[in-house]
This record gives sequence, C-alpha cells and structure tokens, in this order.
Amino acid sequence: MNAAVHRNPAVISAASSILDEMKSVSSSLDYAALLTDDGFDIARLPGETDGARFASMASSMQALGDAVTHELKIGNSEYIIIASAKGYVVQLRVPGHPMVLSALFDNDATVGSALAIARSFVQKMATLLTETASREPEMTSPDSGKNL
Amino acid sequence: MGAGKTTAIQAVSEIDVVSTEASNSERHLVDKPTTTVALDYGEILVDGEEKIRLYGIPGQRRFDFMWAILKRRAQGMVLLVNNDAPDPVAEMLAYLDDFRELYDRGGVVVGISRSDIAPEPDLATYADAIALAHAGKVVPVFTVDPRNNDDMRMVLLALIANIEMRALFATVERDAI
Amino acid sequence: MATEWNQAGEDSAAGTDEISATAITSEPPTTAGWEQAAVAMNSVLQLSIPMLMKMEFDAHDPLFIDFRYRAFAWSTPLSAFPEDAVLAGLQTQPTDLEAGLLFDLPGQPLDGLLWLIGLNSFHGARAPWLAPNERYKLSRWPNLTQHRHTMRQMQMLAVLGNAYVSAGELADMAGVDNSEAQSLINALSLLRILNRSVQAPAAVVAAPQATKRESLFSRLRARLGR
Repeated sequence: MNAAVHRNPAVISAASSILDEMKSVSSSLDYAALLTDDGFDIARLPGETDGARFASMASSMQALGDAVTHELKIGNSEYIIIASAKGYVVQLRVPGHPMVLSALFDNDATVGSALAIARSFVQKMATLLTETASREPEMTSPDSGKNL
Repeated sequence: MGAGKTTAIQAVSEIDVVSTEASNSERHLVDKPTTTVALDYGEILVDGEEKIRLYGIPGQRRFDFMWAILKRRAQGMVLLVNNDAPDPVAEMLAYLDDFRELYDRGGVVVGISRSDIAPEPDLATYADAIALAHAGKVVPVFTVDPRNNDDMRMVLLALIANIEMRALFATVERDAI
Repeated sequence: MATEWNQAGEDSAAGTDEISATAITSEPPTTAGWEQAAVAMNSVLQLSIPMLMKMEFDAHDPLFIDFRYRAFAWSTPLSAFPEDAVLAGLQTQPTDLEAGLLFDLPGQPLDGLLWLIGLNSFHGARAPWLAPNERYKLSRWPNLTQHRHTMRQMQMLAVLGNAYVSAGELADMAGVDNSEAQSLINALSLLRILNRSVQAPAAVVAAPQATKRESLFSRLRARLGR
C-alpha cells in the first residue's frame, strides 16, 4: 500500500529543507508549514503553534478560498492573505502538487515581499519534489497518489 | 470519514452543493479520491421566506474547530455512520459526546450507511449502546442509503419532528429526577 | 417459490408435515384479518424461545416464520400486503438452534411483517396484550427507511420518543383519531420497541399546541410533497 504523502521521508526531508532555507533568507518569517491539501502537517518550523491543528485549518482556508473564487467564476485562488495587527499569514499552493505553504510574517516585512518570498519557495518546492520523485521510483508520486 | 455526508447533502439539496474537497492523503485507510476539508453547503427552501441550510462537515477529529463553528449555528444534526467501519458504535458514541448540546435538544438523528454490505452491528445494538450511555434519551437511528433522496428527506423530517417535539416536552425533563 | 419453501420445510428436521399445533393456538380462526396472527406472534415474541410458525390463507401461499433468525418467507411481497387476508390456519412449533432451516436464509426481516400486522390488526382497538391506563414511550424508533409510513405516524413517533403518553394523549398531541394512535401503539408493541408504564404521569406540554404559525415540520413536509 502507498505510504501517505505526509509520512514519506523523502517528501518530509524536502519540505524541511525548503522551510529552513526560507527562514534563513527572511528574518521576519515567524512560522511556516507545508501541509497536504487535506490538512496533514508535512513539515513546519519550530514554534508554539499546534502544527497538526494549524495544518487542518490552513487546508480548510485553502478550500474555502477556492470555493469563493469558483463561485465568483474568477478561476482558482492564487494566494490567501490574512492580515492582523501583529503580522500576515500568507498561504499558497505548491504548483502541480496537492500541497500548500502557509507562512506567518511579522510586520517588518511588507505584504509584497512576503508574497514574493513565498512564491519563490513554493516554486523551489515543486522543483525539488519532481527531482525527488524521479530519483526514487518507488516513492509515491504526490499528485497521483499511485506508485510510479 | 467515508460515511456519505457529501453524497447525502447532494441528494437532498435544492441548490447545487458548494463543496470543499481536497485530494485524500489517506487512501490506504479509506479508498476514495477526495475528502471534505471545510464544509459542504446545500439548501432546502421551505417557503418564500425561509430556508434550511445544510452543512456537511468533516468527520475527522483534526477538523474539530469546524465542528465548534457549526455547533453554534446548528439546530440539529444528522450523524452518518459507516457500518463497515471497525467500531461504528464507539464512533457514534464519541460523536454524540462531542455534540452533546445538540443531542440534549433532541437534535440528533443517526443514519447507518452501508448496512447492506455490513449488516452487523444491527440497529438494536446501536439503540442499546445509546440507552446505556444516555438513559432516557431516545435517538432515532435508521439504516440509510446516502444516495437515496427519499431516505435523506425522511431523515431530515424525522430530525425536525424530534427537535420540535422535544422542545414541547422540555420542562418535563427539567422537573424529572 | 412456494414449492421450494414447502420442500425445505419437509426436508428439514422440523418438517412442515410435523408441525403440530401447540397450546398457543390450534383452532381455525373465527374472524378474518390478522388479529389471531398478531396475538400468536406476540405470545411467541414474549416467550422469547425458538419457534417456527406457519400461516395458511384462503387466497395466498403459506407464510413461514423462523423466530430464531427473526425472518419470514412469503411469496406475497409486503408492498402488496393484504390487509383483509383470511387466515385459514395457523400452526406453531417449538424448535431449537440446532434444528434444520424452515426456509433458505436470510429470508425477509421479520420487523417488516410485524409493522404491517401490528398496524392492521384490531382495527384501531387496543391490542389484547396491552392494558388500559398505560402510558407508552419508545425504547427505540422503528427503522422508517424500511417501513412504509405516513407523516402523521412520524409525528406520533416524535411524541412517543420524548414522553410517556397514553393512546388518547398521543392522539390529541398529534391531531389524529384515537384509532390511528392506537394502531401505531399496537405495532410498536408488537415490534417490542415500546416501554409501558402505569406509574408515568401525564406529560406536561411546555408550549400551547395550537400555534398560529405552522411548525417547521409541517411546512417542510408540505414542501417535500409528503
């Protein structure tokens, strides 16, 4: 039987390295997580947040965002931003994979720069996943859920 | 998970159901391609001014923040249980506990799906388990096919009838031992 | 199909040839309809011992019941249940779990038959095994997806699920005739899902029954066309 994506060691390791790199280039990144579309936590930066619960909530938000854009007939939701007094949550899909990056930046970053960072890293994650998949034939392919 | 909630709302909703499905990471546990991660939304129009809103919320415990949001808004709940699951009676009892406030108001009806494939446990077993855990409160439990419009409409009517009758008798409960 | 059941009966250890009358009932019925069958079935269910039953009719194939498995076999489908069937004979025989099958299992679920017989016996009068001055409350709901029912019956079930009521009180609260309320009580009692009490006091209704605005139940029922 296929291992679930969020338990695949190669995927977890790819996700962790992406998040670590992201943290190293952005000092205003307070928290970040990579999660599956259906709300499982793959990897996260250390912190007080309940990673499992956050992953579920982020997945609900992502799905609701898509529901709204579909209802308005404006395509898929590209990114979601939740702004609060103490920071922004920026959330967007990893292209081509049922996976989401959700990141919390403090107010030192502008929304624009936070979004730019998040965009570049989901792209890196997508590339890394494709490379990892081609290197390990038995790995579960993230977007089809089947063994290659 | 996999009891037929999204299907059931689609069977009974008069509007196209808004659903929030995501790719299922747990296909080895429940073999379906997608799972609801926020909610399904459907409606039944009652008359010109009133409608019944139907919400299908994920059964997995990691979405319990969703339950909390909807518990406040809901008058009643149809609990769909897959009789094919490893311990469906225990699951039902756990959900009755989680949704205690609705249950106290008579606002719960249980629908057992896939009893054609898995005939045990039977309805008497469910009723006994409820009586043991919550003496005196009778919860309607029916076998249902979530794809069947008639079944789901009947379940909805039973839910509303139960809530309204329970409200009428509410003071008796408070005065009883 | 009737031939198969007869053969199964004859081949089995029980054997329809050997079904002999017991003390429960052995005489030909004196009235048409299902009363005799209801009384006999109620006695068997009350005794709760393994039993077989055979009913013969003027105009239908025989009906076989195996109480061990809560199943029955009959060529007449319940969707064409004959409310005025004339019972020509009824036999019961004690059996045990090791004895052979009367008909191929699973057969049909007995509850479906009990529901219809319970509703259609006694013509709205109290079943003889029930006492006057009793109040009733459901121990569990009947499985409505499997029983043809009216919305009035559903409303009565909602009352019975939430309070102890007599037949008369049930009729008042649900706005139906006494006979309708009593028939439902008879059926639920036969299904053995009714608690009976002589001590339970009259239920106090919290709100006036007649409200200007129709209940959501009535309005939804109208909307769903039932």
